[in-house]
Amino acid sequence: MRKQKPTIMSLFSKKISELQERTAKAVQGGGDKAIAKQIAMGKLPARERINKLLDPGSFYEYDLFIEHDAREFGMENKSLAGDGVVIGTGTINGKPVAIYAQDFTVAGGSLGSMHARKITKIMDYSLRMRIPLIGINDSGGARIQEGVNSLAGYGEIFFRNTLASGVIPQISVILGPCAGGAVYSPALTDYVFVVDKISKMFITGPEVIKSVLGEEIDMESLGGARVHCETTGNAHFFAESEEQCFDQIKELLSYIPAHNQEKQEPLKTKEPLKKYKIDKIVPADPTAPYDVRDVIKSITDNSEFIEIQEMWAPNIVIGYGRVGGRTVGFVANQPMVLAGVLDCDSSDKAARFIRYCDAFEIPIVTLEDMPGYLPGVDQEHAGVIRHGAKLLYAYSEATVPKVTIILRKAYGGGYIAMNSRHLRADFVFAWPTAEIAVMGPEGAANIIFRKEIMEAADPNEMRKQKVQEYKDKFANPYVAAAKGYIDTVIPPADTRKFILHALEISTNKVLKRPVKKHGVPPF
Amino acid sequence: MEENNKEIVSLHEVNDAVLMSDDPNLFTDHIQVFTEGRRYRTMLTRKFAERKKWVAPDPNEIVSHIPGVVAAIYVKEGQKVKKGEKLMIYEAMKMKNIITAPFDGTIRSIAVQEGTNLPKGAILMVME
Repeated sequence: MRKQKPTIMSLFSKKISELQERTAKAVQGGGDKAIAKQIAMGKLPARERINKLLDPGSFYEYDLFIEHDAREFGMENKSLAGDGVVIGTGTINGKPVAIYAQDFTVAGGSLGSMHARKITKIMDYSLRMRIPLIGINDSGGARIQEGVNSLAGYGEIFFRNTLASGVIPQISVILGPCAGGAVYSPALTDYVFVVDKISKMFITGPEVIKSVLGEEIDMESLGGARVHCETTGNAHFFAESEEQCFDQIKELLSYIPAHNQEKQEPLKTKEPLKKYKIDKIVPADPTAPYDVRDVIKSITDNSEFIEIQEMWAPNIVIGYGRVGGRTVGFVANQPMVLAGVLDCDSSDKAARFIRYCDAFEIPIVTLEDMPGYLPGVDQEHAGVIRHGAKLLYAYSEATVPKVTIILRKAYGGGYIAMNSRHLRADFVFAWPTAEIAVMGPEGAANIIFRKEIMEAADPNEMRKQKVQEYKDKFANPYVAAAKGYIDTVIPPADTRKFILHALEISTNKVLKRPVKKHGVPPF
Repeated sequence: MEENNKEIVSLHEVNDAVLMSDDPNLFTDHIQVFTEGRRYRTMLTRKFAERKKWVAPDPNEIVSHIPGVVAAIYVKEGQKVKKGEKLMIYEAMKMKNIITAPFDGTIRSIAVQEGTNLPKGAILMVME
């Protein structure tokens, strides 16, 4: 047979098939065995996770052919597909996002210098393009063989997390172990998603804790999903499965702007559902509890509300809803839990949320019903002064439209902290059931009328009388209204109407603050 | 001198870059599990020395999460209750908090009476 001269076409198809071969090899990750192991642990492979989270067919992958550059401990002979991380861009709800996913099937998703460089590359993209960044964490930690280079990699990531903070939304999804220094990247980001039995986060594992302190604890109780959602406050969203977790991310992204200067187009306004009757939720008796989330749902479009950190410090409720088609951040005391008091954790929780809303130009609606800051030795020793101050700082600092509705109790320092007129709320409305005073009637009467009570023939009867006297005089919204500290007293049924109007006329709000590099908030 | 020595203890070096694991199967062969550590001589802060050891919470115990007063008790010892059933009213911070059963079960013991003043973390009831 005559030898055929290679045509341009055959050369070209050869090149194409080489690309296909290389691609096929790279997307295998750690190979079938490692992938089977990943699935046996109840986890999805990295690319499958990305495809499930992003709009179908929207993912474009970069740096697939990256090679690690470790030259020690026999690493020079090893090839690690994609160096254990997948990066790329795509869309969620039709809007662009940047994403990376650590691939546990490749060297345990361990972080070496090229692995880190891929992550920082996609971080740089997201910051430059002003699109949200999503990081899926599933990694055994630093790649020990790469020594200080892997530490440098973490440092580069943390630096970019900080740089991007307040510019683009940063979302961390913990779908596997995330331990040691690696946990600080999620901690620097805005929203941390965890999945029951899959997510594990801690600085030092159970073994070190046992050998150093003699305390015995298993991984799940130390740093499992539930612990970070209920106890530490490190995580913001809890899911039973990876699929549910991805749905939560999509829902959250539907509310928040893609960057700090995006003017979101309002969606079509929808009325709240009929079953939420705002004037039937709050009991008139100020000592009777209720679920404040029902009040929020009686205000928001279609009664939709996405709650953040639902399980941690539930005595304050934070999250997003829409009013008139526009995203609003809600901060609400929860009388159902711990009487709705402010304490260390609830102050931290609300303060950070307020700063997020302010950074991304999301108006804040505050629903107030709380007896004050929680008294107690443990609170004082835990630094409630420092923690409580964060709430004052965050509200004072925020220049977005701020509306407060006082539902019932607004006492003492808590009244000031919960976005009062004095911290520059734009609008403060009170329900007729509101009680705005320096302290509760019982405590106040005991102090103001101490002498009368002590000297009375029947001190208990006198105390009762004086408490009633104080209640009649001060446990209402009209003393504050007389001073202009609240703008008006409104019937509960008109709450949505007033909020809608307040937000409508605040859309062009301009507020200048003194020039400074940055403030120094109490941490 | 004696006094000072008492405060000096050893701590293992804590390597923050490595995941310490009880389960060696969790990792592929590329990850080393670091267990050997260096010892340091150090002083302790008062807060560290006086810390309480962690104990796993007993899910059967119903405890107070806030200082307050027991206003009303609706159940008796030995009574069977359903999850979500009203057990007592616990008044704290001027709020009549409803304490409900965390799961289906029986009231093994009631540690408090109506009118009892309680700090945070006190056992109210034990269920089984």
